[in-house]
Amino acid sequence: MKQPTVAPDVERDSELDEVTEADRPWLVIVWNDPINLMTYVTYVFQKLFGYSFEKAHKLMLDVHYKGKAVVSSGPREKAEMDCFRLHGYGLWATLSKSE
Amino acid sequence: MSDISLKLNVAEASILRDLVGQMRALFRESDATDPVRKRLFPDAYKDEEDAAAYRDMTGGDLSAAKLEALDRVSGSLGDKGSAKIKLGDEDAEAWIRALTDMRLAIGTRLEVTEPMMDFEPDQSDPSFAALQTLHWLGWLQERILEQMVP
Repeated sequence: MKQPTVAPDVERDSELDEVTEADRPWLVIVWNDPINLMTYVTYVFQKLFGYSFEKAHKLMLDVHYKGKAVVSSGPREKAEMDCFRLHGYGLWATLSKSE
Repeated sequence: MSDISLKLNVAEASILRDLVGQMRALFRESDATDPVRKRLFPDAYKDEEDAAAYRDMTGGDLSAAKLEALDRVSGSLGDKGSAKIKLGDEDAEAWIRALTDMRLAIGTRLEVTEPMMDFEPDQSDPSFAALQTLHWLGWLQERILEQMVP
């Protein structure tokens, strides 16, 4: 529901909030699934993000054992592109704003 | 990277040709409630409006990319018989992506779980044949992957 008339000082506050809101990066999260192979998931992280084998392997293990992992982050446009590329490789990826 | 060699006998090549056809048919359908469709085109956002906007923006490209990967696979398979295949870099990428989509489609249809995937399928299981195909596709994918450099 739309707020009624907003006092100038309140408006200034909400603008400040928006700046902080925009500064918080978007997170690209990959979720565990029972089908994709561990070797494949590791390969995809290396291929798409240029991560070392060690980093990619650790992220894959996080996905597998913790159920999910943040695999990249950044401005919304970049995060959406990363998510799109992960979907192209069949990984279950979603986006959310960092807390 | 030098080309990746792949030898498929008649039965193996024909399974793949059949799956390529099934996947193409799946991409032509647009039943948004189909669990396989949902898995291959996952929602990027929890928020339904954001998810729909993202889907409108990227869905066509994602579908085109998946179809293109299938085209490359069917191109390397040829029309009939066994297949002796040499995969260049782009072909290999297309193959592992297409094999993934096939595995996701079969696995999602069968509602597989992690414990199920850890064991060899049981012959008495009504899904035995499909599970075997699922495992074989994974085996094939790993044979290709181990020759690839990320």
